[in-house]
Amino acid sequence: MVNTAVQNAIEIKNLTKHYKNFSLDNVNFTVPMGSIMGFVGENGAGKTTTIKALLDMIRIDGGEIKVLGGKPVDLSREKKAEIGVVFDGSSLHDNMTAKNINTIMKHIYPNWEVNVFFGYLKKLQLPEDKIIKEYSRGMKMKLSIAIALSHNSKLLILDEATSGLDPMVRDEILDIFLDFIQDEEHTILLSSHIISDIEKIADYVTFIHGGKIIFSESKDSLIYQYGVLHCRKEEIAEIDRSYIVGVRENSFGAELMIRNKEEFQRRFRKFAVEKTSIEEIMLFISRGKER
Amino acid sequence: MKGLIIKDFINLKKNIKILGALTLLYGFMSFAQEDASFFASIFSMLFAILLLSTYSYDDMSKWESFALTMPFQREMIVRGKYYVMLLLTLSGAAFSAIFTVILNVVLKKEDLLGGIQVSAVGAAIVVLYYCILIPFITKLGVEKARYVFFAIYVIPFIIGYMINKNLQNNSLKIPEALLELGDLIMKNVYVIAPLALIAALLISYNISVNIYKKKEF
Repeated sequence: MVNTAVQNAIEIKNLTKHYKNFSLDNVNFTVPMGSIMGFVGENGAGKTTTIKALLDMIRIDGGEIKVLGGKPVDLSREKKAEIGVVFDGSSLHDNMTAKNINTIMKHIYPNWEVNVFFGYLKKLQLPEDKIIKEYSRGMKMKLSIAIALSHNSKLLILDEATSGLDPMVRDEILDIFLDFIQDEEHTILLSSHIISDIEKIADYVTFIHGGKIIFSESKDSLIYQYGVLHCRKEEIAEIDRSYIVGVRENSFGAELMIRNKEEFQRRFRKFAVEKTSIEEIMLFISRGKER
Repeated sequence: MKGLIIKDFINLKKNIKILGALTLLYGFMSFAQEDASFFASIFSMLFAILLLSTYSYDDMSKWESFALTMPFQREMIVRGKYYVMLLLTLSGAAFSAIFTVILNVVLKKEDLLGGIQVSAVGAAIVVLYYCILIPFITKLGVEKARYVFFAIYVIPFIIGYMINKNLQNNSLKIPEALLELGDLIMKNVYVIAPLALIAALLISYNISVNIYKKKEF
């Protein structure tokens, strides 16, 4: 688990929320200030529900949440204004222009910075007078991100902000996030099912599956701890099951995801364990046959 | 909250042309019929209907979820809508009152200010109507609340018709006391109506805020 000794921008303890066909089950994770947390999981795993709980958009059935040091429902106007949120889809009215958005937001956010906003419009090549209806999906997302970054946000919460965008735009957006995080008081929670984006920029990764947190760790330690080995199907029985995260079998043999890679290699020298990726770990956990 | 009100008015900007065309149409009709009261009664309504459009625009863009992340309490989102409703209704009443007076001048009517009364009554009915409707919109969303919209419109007519029919069938007369009460209300309508509207607004607003605070998104 992520070290909790440092100050956390987000703390979620035992978060529980029940719906008819889905439950968030004792969700626990923390996002240290100054870091990027990738929040990953397949569609319907509970990412958006967790984010809605963080933003006090739903009532929770149990647990405790702290955002920028306070309960979401009790956050002062100033604190709330330090949170920039981008949802999947733009949430902006089709017949408005970026100029209109500026007029509205400067009356909503006490810390709205007109120059910063227009600076982002220029940087991201977003036309000021074109109505949003005529924007492409990528442009809409960039506009939403420009809004989130134009009110002195300290915490960015991004729910699938890069999904459905072409690789060029995604890359441009990820660069903006990396710029934002240069300030050590800035924090990002980036939910996505595009693992390559998370691998590129996240410091920590929280993996949610079926409403449960499977792991929440630093990206480096995940890659260090896990590994993949290839063997014959008969050889699987020789391996201590506590090391096996998941198994994929095919006509040529089997692939195993192994945890505690170093220790495993000391005990089972005959098997060569290869380096893995976050995406592989997730796929093995969610789709690999468990042992 | 000012930002929320500005947002609704920017969204309604594209309706100006339609309102302009309707002003010409109804103006011409009133002119042809030599009677401006029709114009006076319709415009408070036309302006007020725009409030439903603001709810639809918010729905289409999923604005509400975004608004909940902004630095204000939930009740501000509700309060914003009540302000927009009042601003629209008052603008409609003012607009229709001014044009009715102009029409009366053009038509050389003796009672130049007669239309203002009609506009004011129209505005009061619209505000009362929304006091009932907004809590339903807050609870059900504007799509589902459309049925309530029609029900509120039709039910008073049905009830009135039934009471009237009942009275006629049973050869009953309206009780004297009720008539006197009606008289008393009419005599003091300029005091009673605004007070009743303020009470209706406060009750409606509190109901809507309570609904909205419990709502999940």
